[in-house]
Amino acid sequence: MKKRIYVIDDDEIYQRIIKKLIARAAVFQEASYYMNARQALHDLNFTSSEIPSVILLDINMPVMDGWQFLEELEKSFPDLYTHTKIFIVSSSIAYSDKEKIHDFPMLSGFLSKPLSVEKIREIGEFIK
Amino acid sequence: MKPNISRRALLMSLLAAIFFLLLGFFMLWQRYQILLETREDEMQGIIKIAEQNIDQSLKYSYSAALFLALQIDEEGEIENFDKVAPQLVDNNPNIDAVQIVPGGVITKVYPLEENKEALYYNILKDSTRNREAFKAIERKQMFFAGPLELKQGGLAIVGRLPVFKKDEFWGFVAVLIDFENLIDQSGLEDLAGDQYLFQFSRKNPLTEKEEFFLKKDNKLDKSYSEELVLPDGGWKIYIIPLAPQQAFYTLIPVAIMILIISGAIGWIIYNTLKQPAKLQQLVKEQAGELAQSELHFRTIFNQAAIGMARVNSRSGMILEANKKFQDLLGYSEEELKQKDYKVISHPDDLSDNTQLMQKLSQDEIREYSLEKRLQRSDGKLIWVRINVSPLWEVGEDVSSHIALVEDISARVLVKQKLIDNENRFRSLVENSNEIILIVDDLNNVKYYSPSLSKISKYEEIDFAANGVLYYTHPDDHDLLRSKVEKAYENPGTPITDIILRVKDAEDNWFWVNATLTNMLNVDNVNGFVVNLRDITGKKEAEMNLVKSYELVMEQNKRLLNFAYIVSHNLRSHSSNMSSILELYETEESQEEKDSYIQLLNKVSTNLDQSLHDLNEVVSINTNLDIKAESINVAEFVEQALDVLNLQIKSKDAKIIKELPEDMQINFNAAYMESVLLNFLTNALRYSHPQRTPVIEIRGYKEEANWILEIRDNGIGIDLDKHGEKVFGLYKTFSERKDSRGVGLFITKNQINAMGGTVKIESKPGVGTSFKVRFK
Repeated sequence: MKKRIYVIDDDEIYQRIIKKLIARAAVFQEASYYMNARQALHDLNFTSSEIPSVILLDINMPVMDGWQFLEELEKSFPDLYTHTKIFIVSSSIAYSDKEKIHDFPMLSGFLSKPLSVEKIREIGEFIK
Repeated sequence: MKPNISRRALLMSLLAAIFFLLLGFFMLWQRYQILLETREDEMQGIIKIAEQNIDQSLKYSYSAALFLALQIDEEGEIENFDKVAPQLVDNNPNIDAVQIVPGGVITKVYPLEENKEALYYNILKDSTRNREAFKAIERKQMFFAGPLELKQGGLAIVGRLPVFKKDEFWGFVAVLIDFENLIDQSGLEDLAGDQYLFQFSRKNPLTEKEEFFLKKDNKLDKSYSEELVLPDGGWKIYIIPLAPQQAFYTLIPVAIMILIISGAIGWIIYNTLKQPAKLQQLVKEQAGELAQSELHFRTIFNQAAIGMARVNSRSGMILEANKKFQDLLGYSEEELKQKDYKVISHPDDLSDNTQLMQKLSQDEIREYSLEKRLQRSDGKLIWVRINVSPLWEVGEDVSSHIALVEDISARVLVKQKLIDNENRFRSLVENSNEIILIVDDLNNVKYYSPSLSKISKYEEIDFAANGVLYYTHPDDHDLLRSKVEKAYENPGTPITDIILRVKDAEDNWFWVNATLTNMLNVDNVNGFVVNLRDITGKKEAEMNLVKSYELVMEQNKRLLNFAYIVSHNLRSHSSNMSSILELYETEESQEEKDSYIQLLNKVSTNLDQSLHDLNEVVSINTNLDIKAESINVAEFVEQALDVLNLQIKSKDAKIIKELPEDMQINFNAAYMESVLLNFLTNALRYSHPQRTPVIEIRGYKEEANWILEIRDNGIGIDLDKHGEKVFGLYKTFSERKDSRGVGLFITKNQINAMGGTVKIESKPGVGTSFKVRFK
């Protein structure tokens, strides 16, 4: 089984960084990068590609933020969490967002930026 | 005094009675004498007639005897006796018989038949009757003897005429008169009638005793009789009134009348005289009573437990004062008597007293009472109640009055204390900022404190008509009901801290902290005592506090959020930097390394931008002395449109302006520029790709506030999804790379800093409208 990872974050620079990190970690066979949650949701819904093993999700994004994305995703994939580990990735977390985490108890965790190759490997090995 | 007067009256009346009695009896006596004299005269008259009659009879007898004697011749012989005697006797009713008695011996007698027995009777030898015979001889004249019991029977008078022959006693010629006949002839019987009795007496020549000849049993009361002495025979004729006391008796009624009259006069005089005595007695009794009551009064006056003084009503000088009065004032009576009541009165009480005194003097009132202060000898003031009654009658001259003086200092003191207390409590109640009401169980407001109108502006409050709930806020009705119920269940226990809103007279709600105490069963209260403390200020302060707390919390939260956002933003840059640097260090390809440096450069630019934005945001939030000035909105809109002229043209956008020229607002000029540019830039930037952008800029007034509305027909924003987040920092809603999520955040902060508000209306695909309300 291929390990697939989705990265959803509107930070252009972060995108470039994470690509490098994922590449260096070399635990994921496939990786998709989205600046836009809506696009990611669309792809998940309408492409034949499999649901990823890991999603690294930013919260503060325009148009659709991380929470909205999660809500939509849960609707589309009721058994989402049995296949997918979803991590919130942010440089920091606001009080309001901390509260919000309780609404999504199936989340796998919160990862603080900056991520490292080691961290990504850890995640990749964690899923097996 | 009394017995004297009475005795004098009695004496006077007795004297008067006696005087009138004596006068009466004197007159009566006179009358009696007249009566007696009349009777005497009558009796004398009768006797006189009788005397004449008897004298007549005797004269006849004498004539007859003389005639016979002349018939006697010298020899002593009588020849024609038989012839002469009958003539004498038969023709003369006065003579019953004649006798010839020579030498004392009856020789001849006529009428013989009746007098036979006497014949030859020698009278001179009869000692029982010869004395008179001898008297006749001695006197040589006719002498009547008898009445005698005749030999021949019968009682008769014998008249004997001595006959002398040659100076020699010869004998007698005797005439016999029947005694009854003589009395008959005298006419006495007829004359005396029923009124008188008569009696015939002669002195017996032998016994010298008076002999009575009429057989009348009546006692001869000579005291009323008249007598007639007949010398011829030594006879006496008495006439006696049959009822000698008749005159007296006839006068008895008169006497009685006199007695009665004089008695009556006496009585009248007595009574008349006694009248003054009676009056005097009455006066005396009354005087006694007066003295008694004077004594009583004096005793009461002196011993009374109440002060009493008699005061000259004109001068005000004290005339008398009792012990108690003296004690009250600490002066002796002598000292008081030199004082005017005004001198010992407190000056402040004088005018009232003088007025009352004046009314009393003018008889407008008959008494008065007054509470006033008097000054004691030791200078202390005492409170007294005086009751004043005049001692003159209505209409009389003003004289003096009695003042009853009662020491009420203690009472006044207590009363004053009570009043003080009452005033104190009243002032507490009335000056309190609490409204205090007493409301009975029928909702009648029995008392309300003045603070009612002060606080609620109600002149009065009518729970009964309007119901209590009318005055309370509908949201507080349930609370009030439950508290009233609780008060009913717990009499006497104050139900405190009932916080509710009530309506004032101007229909404004204000907050009160109410305390409700059920005192329905407490005398003089009989109701619920309601204390209402206006806590609007407190409540407002509280609410302001809550508001500012909320504001602070909000700001704090915002600040926290801001801090987070800032730190997040900065951290994202720093994390990117550290990641890049890490990648750089482990990168071997020079080309890659160069790209990392470029990337780093980009991060640096982004960081700079972020810091710039932050600086702007912070400056709005910290710069408190931003100057506001009056600016004309239309002018500023024109300027902004000028600035954006190029963009408008390139988008071919249509601008509609409706801005009143007088739309002057107080705003900071730089902020105004920023706000307008931001809204207009947004409107241009998020225009709908398939439509000509139309931007409407309108100014108008809503109530007192100016509104600036900027409406576009752009892509719009889903407010259901994003809501008020549109004004959040770093909130972006489009995929445009140049959206930094700062503009609206700054705009809102600028408007808020100037006291305005901003609202957004938007529909995706239709357009967006921002509505700014200026202060």
